Amino acid sequence: MALSRHAGRSRLTLVFLILTSITVITLDFRGGGEGLIASVRDGAADVLAPVRDAGAGVLEPVGDALSGVTGYGELEDENAVLRARIAELEGSVLRDEGAEGELAEARALLDLDFGSDLPRVDARVISTPVSNFEQTIELDQGRDDGVDIDMPVVSGAGLVGQVVHVSASRSTVRLVTDPASAVGVRLARSSEVAVAEGEGPQRLLSLSFVDPAADVSVLELVVTSGLNDSVFPPGIPVGRVALADPAPGRLEQRVEVRPVADLAQLRLVSVLQTSNRTLRRP
Amino acid sequence: MTAATRLPPVLLGAVLIHTAVAPQLRLFGVAADVMLLLAIAAGIAAGAERGAALGFAAGLLADCFLQTPFGLSALTYSLVAYGVGAFQATILHTGRWIPMLTALVASVLGVVLFALLGLVLGQNHLVSVRLITVAGLVGLLNALLSPIAIRVMRWAIAPPLVSGVVLR
Repeated sequence: MALSRHAGRSRLTLVFLILTSITVITLDFRGGGEGLIASVRDGAADVLAPVRDAGAGVLEPVGDALSGVTGYGELEDENAVLRARIAELEGSVLRDEGAEGELAEARALLDLDFGSDLPRVDARVISTPVSNFEQTIELDQGRDDGVDIDMPVVSGAGLVGQVVHVSASRSTVRLVTDPASAVGVRLARSSEVAVAEGEGPQRLLSLSFVDPAADVSVLELVVTSGLNDSVFPPGIPVGRVALADPAPGRLEQRVEVRPVADLAQLRLVSVLQTSNRTLRRP
Repeated sequence: MTAATRLPPVLLGAVLIHTAVAPQLRLFGVAADVMLLLAIAAGIAAGAERGAALGFAAGLLADCFLQTPFGLSALTYSLVAYGVGAFQATILHTGRWIPMLTALVASVLGVVLFALLGLVLGQNHLVSVRLITVAGLVGLLNALLSPIAIRVMRWAIAPPLVSGVVLR
């Protein structure tokens, strides 16, 4: 008798928790990134941030050691600076190459550049993806530093992703490889316009809507198109074509792109302060 | 010390490991899901009812660092912890390997349930071929870590000492 009463109470507790979860999910959906749930989320992230920073400071070296990475202290800092420098140089090479391509004229007309005319916030990557399903990174700059949702994030080499969540002191960036990521792009040589979609970690981006008759070549540079009020300014290098398969009879060409930014080794990035309220589409 | 004073630091420590350490230790790009493991350990150590409540709390904390709908992990983890607790109650003799096997199976089911519930909520990207790899590896990693997690959770929920005797 007592056992069945206990089982009944357990089930009641579970039902209560399920209903609470559904209520929270509903509130989150209705809030649309703002409101009570967003405040709770932001607050928790901000409150835990110093603890996480302190914890990461202590625990990250353990993680590094266990994963076989042996860069510490000055060596690690030096590596970060060198990586940023290499990425910057790669970016300038890509920019030069793009300027020499058929896109040069259009780029000049449209005043395309790698976001140099935009104010930017430099940020340090403080967390790699927490989830096994999301390709996101966390930055040490937030709303108080001028970061806002939808702002594009670049490394010296090119596009990294887009800010999808921001709290007072932190921001979360969805990488271009995230399956939920879609970036309007243009192929630098063939001028084909397409959408670059993420396929998950360690996988190439896939381009949608590429004309099967388009002359797409391997290693061709892919840059953001900036069309239709995109959140991404035009001309930011996204990647290079790794595979172009114009299979006859298909409605679109199969094109895969390798990101130019080394997303696995990000340390320092810049958030481009676009006026995101007027730029909405990917 | 009571469970009320032991649980918050355990949860906080788990969040730290979940966000700062586990992502550094990936096997084929997949990290252990520490918060899911905590929920499973709660189910094993505390039974269905308290396990579900602790799973809910662990899920809410995990949701703070995800872009999926807030509450999705809480819903998943409370269901998994309840299931584990209910299953655990039916076992008369627990060998050493049973909690590990339970953690493995529950982790796989938890990851799949998370993805399916996410799909219902419009998170289409959660369900792909990679889900099989993620579920399998999370199950394996969580199973390996489960003895520690269960021990910690048993300590966290243990009743207070009265005159040097542990009440059971």
